[in-house]
Amino acid sequence: MSTMSVSHKIVSQAEWLAARKALLAREKELTRLRDMLNQQRRELPWVRVEKEYVFDAPDGKQTLADLFAGRSQLIVQHFMFGPGWKEGCVGCSFKSDHIDGTLAHLENHDVSFVSVSRAPIEEIEAFRKRMGWKFKWVSSYDSDFNYDFHVSFTPEEIEIGRVFYNYAMVDASIEDLSGDSVFYKDSGGDIYHTYSTHGRGDEQFVSTYMYLDITPKGRNENGPRYNLTDWVRHHDRYEDGGSVNEHGRYVAATNGCGCEESES
Amino acid sequence: MSVVAENHPVVSQEEWLEARKEFLADEKKLTRLRDELSRKRRELPWVKVEKDYVFDGPNGKETLADLFDGRSQLVVYHFMFGPDWEAGCPRCSMGADHFDRSAIHLSQRDVTLIAVSRARLAKIDAFKKRMGWGFKWVSSYGSEFNYDYRVSFTHEEMERKRFDYNYGLNGFPSDEATGTSVFYKNVDGDVFHTYSSYARGGEGMLLPYHFLDLVPKGRDEEDLLPDGMAWVRFHDSYADSPQHTCCHS
Repeated sequence: MSTMSVSHKIVSQAEWLAARKALLAREKELTRLRDMLNQQRRELPWVRVEKEYVFDAPDGKQTLADLFAGRSQLIVQHFMFGPGWKEGCVGCSFKSDHIDGTLAHLENHDVSFVSVSRAPIEEIEAFRKRMGWKFKWVSSYDSDFNYDFHVSFTPEEIEIGRVFYNYAMVDASIEDLSGDSVFYKDSGGDIYHTYSTHGRGDEQFVSTYMYLDITPKGRNENGPRYNLTDWVRHHDRYEDGGSVNEHGRYVAATNGCGCEESES
Repeated sequence: MSVVAENHPVVSQEEWLEARKEFLADEKKLTRLRDELSRKRRELPWVKVEKDYVFDGPNGKETLADLFDGRSQLVVYHFMFGPDWEAGCPRCSMGADHFDRSAIHLSQRDVTLIAVSRARLAKIDAFKKRMGWGFKWVSSYGSEFNYDYRVSFTHEEMERKRFDYNYGLNGFPSDEATGTSVFYKNVDGDVFHTYSSYARGGEGMLLPYHFLDLVPKGRDEEDLLPDGMAWVRFHDSYADSPQHTCCHS
């Protein structure tokens, strides 16, 4: 498992300090670049949301406006969880493990957070309870929402195998992908779409990755896919063996009788 | 409080897409730079830890080597909590609010994540219980650990005002500071210090900030400067009156 060199360079405190200071200068460059992009992100124009999106929440129908819950800013996590999947994608679950601890701070800084998936609300609720998550999670089952924000694709699109995702036409063989979208509600109640990010654009929300990035072994993703599917599981499944397929879905270990593995 | 202009430009979907695509190219540069620095960080040399640091933990006295808990990589969260403080620092608390679930995944990557403070263990345990946290948190009271890794400062240093913090004579307004240190233990049991970061170096792990960086109002701290983080409370204290800030004692 380890890719650690057994002969890593060991130096004196003074030598280490010189190397560390050189890296610090580069790290500050990264921080400044992030500050600059944060500023530029806020300067992006907005698009007014004209459609009335309605979602299924555990306690009934809710509009996009309702999801702001009295705040002016809304972050939507597009959680990959299609109808009939029984459980959400492993990568989105990994990311979601960081959310509950963050909510109190966001909600007291004029930000509401909601997770949205295409699975029916009953399937979402069963999985949410299994994972022990408290954040709000609604279903866009009957809505165009996921399609309009380019995280779900029609069977026809999947048949062709090309979809518009992360601001480009890409190959795709799955109906649901991930991302985050941001909305603003003004004092008149009008809603604007301000930002969406996909692919690696949401990596900074996975603090576990940010911690791995400061360790000697790093993310240590050495195949077969060289991404989180190499090792990440639902937090209650690390002892169960099995694997994660290219769609980010958990595949149980074979039972030894040679049966075909299937997505759960 | 709002810094959102009422007349923010509103455009068509096509125009937005054009602006968004252009910005995406810059975001990808940031991701690539982060990747590059993560690589360079792993290439940093290490320093062998020669002192025998001993901590007070749930299992009694534990050495730095014990804290690895069977893994080869140890991440130490230097949690600001001085021996005479009533509670830990609210900002460090915000950073720790997602540790419990994060630790499940980190342990699968050969990483043990712990918090270390100079407060006595009984005080740490009481505060940890109040906050509902399960992660391991030990006391370095009586040890030189915090001073050696430049997150606690002596009376003499505080009087000098300018002393070594964040790799320069920056000083710090409190005698306890925050930071993150990383250690590696080889098969022979030797422990090496591989990395430490301080100040904004810890922002990468401060999750609420990354979410705030996406929304129109951003971190919305301009009115609070120079203490931008003054809005942060313990997760159980937002409804209470403004609290004392630990960084400006």
